[in-house]
Amino acid sequence: MQMVSELRERLRAIVFRGRMERELEEELRFHLEHETAARRLAGSAEPEREARLALGGVERVKEAVRDARGVRPLETLVADIRFALRSLRRNPGFTVTVVLILGVAVGAATAVALVAHRVLLAPLPYPAPERLVRVDQRYGSGGYGTLSLVEIEAVTAQARSLEAFGAVRYVGMSLSGPAGPERIDAGRATAGYFRALAVRAARGRLIEAGDNAPGAAPVVVLSHAEAERTFGSPERAVGQSVTLDGVSHTVVGVLRPENRGLAGPPTDAWAPLQLEPPTRRGPFGYRGIGRLAPGVSLARAEGELGEISARIFPIWKASYQDSTARLVPVPLRQALFGYARAPIGLFAGAVALVVLAAVANAATLLLVRAAAREHEMAVRAALGAGRGRLARLVATECLVLSGLAALVATAVAAAGVRLAPAVAPNLPRIAQVQMGWEAVALASVGCVIAGLVVALAPLSVIAASGSAAPARLTSAGGARTGAGPRTSTARAVLVVAEFALAFPLLVGAGLLFTSFLRLERRELGFDPSGVYALDISLAGAPNANDTTRIEFWRKLEARAAELPGIPAVGLAGSIPPDNYGDVNNFNLVDRPVPAGTTEPTSPWPAVTSGYFAALGIELLEGRPFAAGDSAGAPPVAIVSRTWAAKYYPRESAVGKQLVSAGCTTCPLMTIIGVVSDVHYRGLAGEADAVYVPLAQDPGSDRYLVARSRLGAAATFRALRSALAAVDPDVAPVGVTLVERVDASLGDPRRWTLVVGAFASVGVLLAAVGTFGLMAYLVRQRQRELGVRLALGASPASLMRLVVRQGMRYAVLGSAIGIALALLQARWLGPLLFGVDAVDPRALGVAALCLLAVAALACAIPGLAATRIRPIEALSTG
Amino acid sequence: MGDDHNDLLQGTLELLVLKALSLAPMHGWGIAQRIEQLSGAVFRVQQGSLYPALQRMLRRGWIRSEWRTSEHNRRARYYALTPAGRRQLSTERSAWERVSAAINAVLEVRPASEEA
Repeated sequence: MQMVSELRERLRAIVFRGRMERELEEELRFHLEHETAARRLAGSAEPEREARLALGGVERVKEAVRDARGVRPLETLVADIRFALRSLRRNPGFTVTVVLILGVAVGAATAVALVAHRVLLAPLPYPAPERLVRVDQRYGSGGYGTLSLVEIEAVTAQARSLEAFGAVRYVGMSLSGPAGPERIDAGRATAGYFRALAVRAARGRLIEAGDNAPGAAPVVVLSHAEAERTFGSPERAVGQSVTLDGVSHTVVGVLRPENRGLAGPPTDAWAPLQLEPPTRRGPFGYRGIGRLAPGVSLARAEGELGEISARIFPIWKASYQDSTARLVPVPLRQALFGYARAPIGLFAGAVALVVLAAVANAATLLLVRAAAREHEMAVRAALGAGRGRLARLVATECLVLSGLAALVATAVAAAGVRLAPAVAPNLPRIAQVQMGWEAVALASVGCVIAGLVVALAPLSVIAASGSAAPARLTSAGGARTGAGPRTSTARAVLVVAEFALAFPLLVGAGLLFTSFLRLERRELGFDPSGVYALDISLAGAPNANDTTRIEFWRKLEARAAELPGIPAVGLAGSIPPDNYGDVNNFNLVDRPVPAGTTEPTSPWPAVTSGYFAALGIELLEGRPFAAGDSAGAPPVAIVSRTWAAKYYPRESAVGKQLVSAGCTTCPLMTIIGVVSDVHYRGLAGEADAVYVPLAQDPGSDRYLVARSRLGAAATFRALRSALAAVDPDVAPVGVTLVERVDASLGDPRRWTLVVGAFASVGVLLAAVGTFGLMAYLVRQRQRELGVRLALGASPASLMRLVVRQGMRYAVLGSAIGIALALLQARWLGPLLFGVDAVDPRALGVAALCLLAVAALACAIPGLAATRIRPIEALSTG
Repeated sequence: MGDDHNDLLQGTLELLVLKALSLAPMHGWGIAQRIEQLSGAVFRVQQGSLYPALQRMLRRGWIRSEWRTSEHNRRARYYALTPAGRRQLSTERSAWERVSAAINAVLEVRPASEEA
């Protein structure tokens, strides 16, 4: 009851403020009239004055009544906000600068935080995602690898700590349709794969254990999108048949729309993985995903998988000898997205430096303003405003600035979120980053926190000078009331901090740029212009064996070689610069690795001689592949120059022999030649490669590579027609090598741009901060500088004085910045190529650049100092 | 301050206002007059603190106010007790009685030496 009446009265006090004031006025007038009349009756000589005295001052009573209304804090806040808005409007330059600085920095930070959350932290869209693991093979050398049928069968049969386990191999399939074959992304998976992820079919059923048995009827599960595209709707798809790689498959089910991909790349068709009894460990390339049984820890699963490895691996020693390899469970989210940590860490680090620099900068500007307003504050203090009230005014002003900055930050964050997929297209889940209310809240909270931190600067001025305010007033002249030593120290610290924060940004941007240039100028080993390839997959072809595949590839190459306008064409299992294709382990016969340890690996492209011709890879030593290097002939290999230099640095590699794929019972492979380098491990990687003749490793996934004079469209048309003549059911994907090379430089280029943008902002902030501070100091010391001029100081010496002071901050800041740059080397190092993360040249260039900017930022106020006219300075001072 | 006038004890102002208003609704000046008169001119109400006190009591819902025409045909703000105010009066009254009884009891005690 009392609470209700309190609320009502307080509400009235706010809503009817004007009316209540008038009523109060009238009530007190009524009181005074009665009191005066009563005193006059009592014979007073000055009844009016006495009445007034008895009341104790009308204004004082009014204030007391207003206080009693209980809405003072709110009223004051409204008044303070009005005051803040008024005073900010009077200084639009200052206001816009601070709002933009804080808004842009916090907005950028918000965008990065949203990306980091979505990409790294958001849970996977499966039930109980924390129990999902990817089962990888960890080698003795520390690397991680995929599984083969041996591991899949062992884990499926033996792992008790996994409630469900399944495997998948991603393949390209050709889907036959009325308009010819189409290439679709497909996966061959076991039933356990779907059980482990706990996904359900939208229609029909998923792949079941029986489908994985060798010889089972071919079935397929389609993605929602594919079912709609091919059959119009998921309902109609179930029970129909589709022709994949020339084989009719029955559609048994359709996945939900959100399951376009299942813990992997987008996939439109899921066929059963046929679990043949393994004959050796390998080929690898299968991904295993498991679900931990309830209550089972990761460590326990790791222990059990280790035991299984120790039991199983020795059995298959003949085909794979690394006895230190172990199966390990890796939390699925980390396995899928862990690689994004480095670039996101880079962005987060850069944006954190920018935010700190922005806060320091805004604080500098507010300090300069506070010092310039000391006179105004002193007047207010003298007129009775308490120190607390002044502090509240300043704090409110900062909060109003924060509020305006929050608007900017929200807009910047929205723009950042929209840009994110373009800036970092290779980050997982980046397209799912969205602007939501939580983003607006994050931006606002960020701005308020930044505003409060910024407010500390001017508040410290009030705290330091409040008591002396009236005294300062008497010394008059805003220009002369100098800042106390404490506030000028605070300003110096802030400007030094701005340089210290800009420094590592600049170093990072410089290093990334150098790294990018090194990559761009890296010897490709071939001229990509005019080189095109068709990506062809025969993975699902029925009854395919090595003989039929050899025949297929031979016919295809012969057909393509007849095409006019295409001077060179060949086949290859990998294409440069970053297509891994096949990677194989090997052991040198004359210098094997110690028994039981990890064997070296190398990219292992199976090629025809036409491929070398198409790319212009030169034979440096030995002989090329010949017709005699056929399926039954002794295995041969041609190695790249880097490979030869790495394993046979002081002798010729030609004639040396190696054990391929750990197979100790197979015939030895002999090196017959050495060719020039091209990259398969990315431009930043090594250029090692072991080429084997396609006839001895026909495989199902190959590129038809051509050097052409025809241009992209005509070349692809010609190559497709050659393929269709050999097998009309195969759908290829066209690849332009210029684009591949460009794409491989995409990430370094974009990272350089992002960090470069952040670094520019950081340097700009440092420059603005220095300029603002020096300009203020020159204004403040106008009188002193005037005296110096009058006493014969040369303008040049004044310039030196100003610049020297500013440069002291810049030098000190850069020195601290070097320490920060050394700290960040740890994170930056893995992202760099060909340049050391603590490259002294990068540090030197960054320091020079910052000092030059600082000198410029000081020179302008310095110039102003030389233009001071002593007479004016002294008379106005 | 005259010797024959005592300033109101802190906190008793509200009790006296409630009591005054329990007799009849009246305006601010009237309340001050009434309290002085009722106390035999012993208490003088600090006029400056009367109005904030009224404002507080309004907020707590003990009294309500309305504008009426005074005896001299002047518009004036009249205060009246609400039911909550009536309850508050009896609460404060019994509290006051307890306190004054206690103080009286203390004052009645004679020192041992005086008795001898």
